Amino acid sequence: MTTIGAVGTYLPPWGTERARSAGPDEDAVTLGVAAARAAIHRSGPDTVRRVVFVTRDLPLLEGGNGAALLAGIGLEARVPVVEQVGGAPAALDAVVDAGPGTLVVAVDLAPAGAGAVLLGDPTGHAGPEVAPAGRVVRSMPVRVRAADGIVRDYDDPRLQRERGLGVAVERLGLPAKPAVVAGLPARQAAALCAGRAPILPTTGASATVFAIAALAEVGSPALVLAVEQGSATAVTVAGVPAVRRDERSPTPLPAVTANPGPEIAISLAAYERAFEPKLRWEAGRCDACGALAFPPRYRCLQCGSEAGWSLTPLPRRGEVYTVTTVHVPVPGLPTPYSLAIVELDGVDVRALVKVTGVPAGTAGIGNRGSLVLRRVAVRSGIPDYGYALLPDPPVTGETAPAALAALAEGALR
Amino acid sequence: MRRVAVVGAGMTAFGEHFGLGIKDLLPMAVSEMAGHVDKGLDRADIQAVWFGELSTTDGFPSGVLADSCGLLDVPVTRVENACATGNDAVRNATYAVGSGAVDVALVVGADKVRESSARATFWEWAQMTRDMAWDYPLGLIAPANFALHVARYLHESPATREHLAMVAVKNHRHGVANPKAHLRFEITVEQALNAPRVVEPFGLYDCTPQSDGAAALLLVAGDVVDRYTDRPVWVRGVGLGLDRVMHQHKRDMTTFPPTVKASKAAYAMAGIGPADIDVAEVHDCFTGVELISYEDLGFTERFGAYKLIENGVTAVGGARPVNPSGGLKAKGHPPGATGVAQCVEIVEQLRGEAANQVDGARIGLAHNIGGPTAVSAVTVLSSQRG
Repeated sequence: MTTIGAVGTYLPPWGTERARSAGPDEDAVTLGVAAARAAIHRSGPDTVRRVVFVTRDLPLLEGGNGAALLAGIGLEARVPVVEQVGGAPAALDAVVDAGPGTLVVAVDLAPAGAGAVLLGDPTGHAGPEVAPAGRVVRSMPVRVRAADGIVRDYDDPRLQRERGLGVAVERLGLPAKPAVVAGLPARQAAALCAGRAPILPTTGASATVFAIAALAEVGSPALVLAVEQGSATAVTVAGVPAVRRDERSPTPLPAVTANPGPEIAISLAAYERAFEPKLRWEAGRCDACGALAFPPRYRCLQCGSEAGWSLTPLPRRGEVYTVTTVHVPVPGLPTPYSLAIVELDGVDVRALVKVTGVPAGTAGIGNRGSLVLRRVAVRSGIPDYGYALLPDPPVTGETAPAALAALAEGALR
Repeated sequence: MRRVAVVGAGMTAFGEHFGLGIKDLLPMAVSEMAGHVDKGLDRADIQAVWFGELSTTDGFPSGVLADSCGLLDVPVTRVENACATGNDAVRNATYAVGSGAVDVALVVGADKVRESSARATFWEWAQMTRDMAWDYPLGLIAPANFALHVARYLHESPATREHLAMVAVKNHRHGVANPKAHLRFEITVEQALNAPRVVEPFGLYDCTPQSDGAAALLLVAGDVVDRYTDRPVWVRGVGLGLDRVMHQHKRDMTTFPPTVKASKAAYAMAGIGPADIDVAEVHDCFTGVELISYEDLGFTERFGAYKLIENGVTAVGGARPVNPSGGLKAKGHPPGATGVAQCVEIVEQLRGEAANQVDGARIGLAHNIGGPTAVSAVTVLSSQRG
């Protein structure tokens, strides 16, 4: 018996209500990490025994995404990661077949979104049961993409509808119409659903998780159907799972200038030395005096001890100490972009980070925000992950005048 | 330590010397310096060379200098200390002469920045100064390093972007008269404020150009000064200061501790204080850096720099002119040459030969900051032996 312990979702702050776009510093790993952290928000990392990463947009086919995923989520390096290329049915298969402690992380890039489902009963509260209701794996490759990355569309929607989707659903022989369908555009999905179908933000692997997260809207028990081309998987979910959404309201991606240039160099030796603290957001704590150093360093900043240090997690909230915005074209980077030095809450540590999630130039000194995993750069083809400042959304509504007054007071000081 | 004097100073024009390589600029600067020695220089007198160059062009620096200048029989040492390279080369040669190891030392500074494409320089310099794993991939290009400081400085001090613009206007005005300057045109405050944004809070006119150039000084022991000139300029003080390399580790970004340390050391060695400085060449790679440096060098109190620029104190004709040469802003900035060329300007000022002569200047100061903000070198020169 499989139960859904918790669900987490993430939508990038860019795009429209109908279709989100991944930011230039986001990829399937960073999206997946955000959703996974939402899913395990309550239970913590110790409940995860295995990760299944389902996407058709793996950042690397060779070189591996697992270590970055684990580090970003905050899981130990001994947790196995299955990197699976797949769409909505693959994600639903992963959910229904998984044992307790499995974290299914499903990600799409266009439209962009990510979802994570933690299976089992991590918090001691019984989650809703999920049981298989049918599966059919058929070939109707109306869209193909091989290792070269080139997408080819056969472009025959009626063929797809009748002989792909239609036959697949027919073969499932479902006892009733599904309550929610993942893997299709909203209108097509609604046509297959029993009642008022929830509108899902994505159409690939993550749509399965958004469908499960939407069960609160449609009630339970519910039949959940996931489809892709000629294949389909159906499950019944016996209740409504706990859902945590990391979904800001969207704004259009700001116009940036792409600046062609030589590849930004990387030292893999330096990359490897920095990997753990950089992707896990951890400082070195001096074994002698307890002072934190970020990045970790051989000799303590505070007491000069060279006796050693151990990694310790850093706060993920902070305030901008200083900030600048680069407008001039920098080869290999889209401009403009903002860089900030952030004072982390409650510790004597500052971090130099890029600003993400808001248009360049809008974050000011004194602004508060969260530190989130982003793809800081791609260097010689290697994704270089690190943390960026996601400023808090501006204060709106009735509190605005008071907030503005406080800001003005701060500016006049 | 023995007394050390400058008896010859020369430099190439600063600018985009696409037609000249480092092997051309070096002998040009050395020959101009030799021509400036009042009683002449027999090159066989030169006993050792200190060569400041930040980046490597056309081969390893010491060898290129020895070969291109015909100095194959003396030791040549390359000095590299980020943008403080020039004044640190002066410091090293001063110690060599002061110690008695040599009587006659040549100091050369040069860089051929425009040997790379204008944009490629961003990454080349970042690679020289930033942590490869943590800072380099962020796109922390040279102006951004300083912008992080100046943004905080503008936040805490009464200075505004208008004051930055005033620095640009002043140094551009000074540069017009200097035949060696890279940018020889005047600008207005409005032009500076309305110029395209480069890196906030810097617009185009807040930034130094990328220049090529070379400069040379002849340093000799007090015992042999008379052989070369009757009007020596004495090296009264040298100082070097450092700070944490990563911005994250700098406690207060409204000040540059390396400058405070370097100037304190130089003032102490010279037996003077900041009030004694009649003229200064200050490292204005970005306008705001000149303002912060007024405070770090002790020319004014903390957050008082805006008053100096507002009241014309640091313009030629004011009480303490800063960057009469045009500074890095207008004269240009080939990093290795910059500090040496600052000393060339101060030598000319103290000998009454400068294009923008400061009346009655007797003590002058040259200042670099670099790394980008983790090292500073300061030299105090005087027409008085002290």
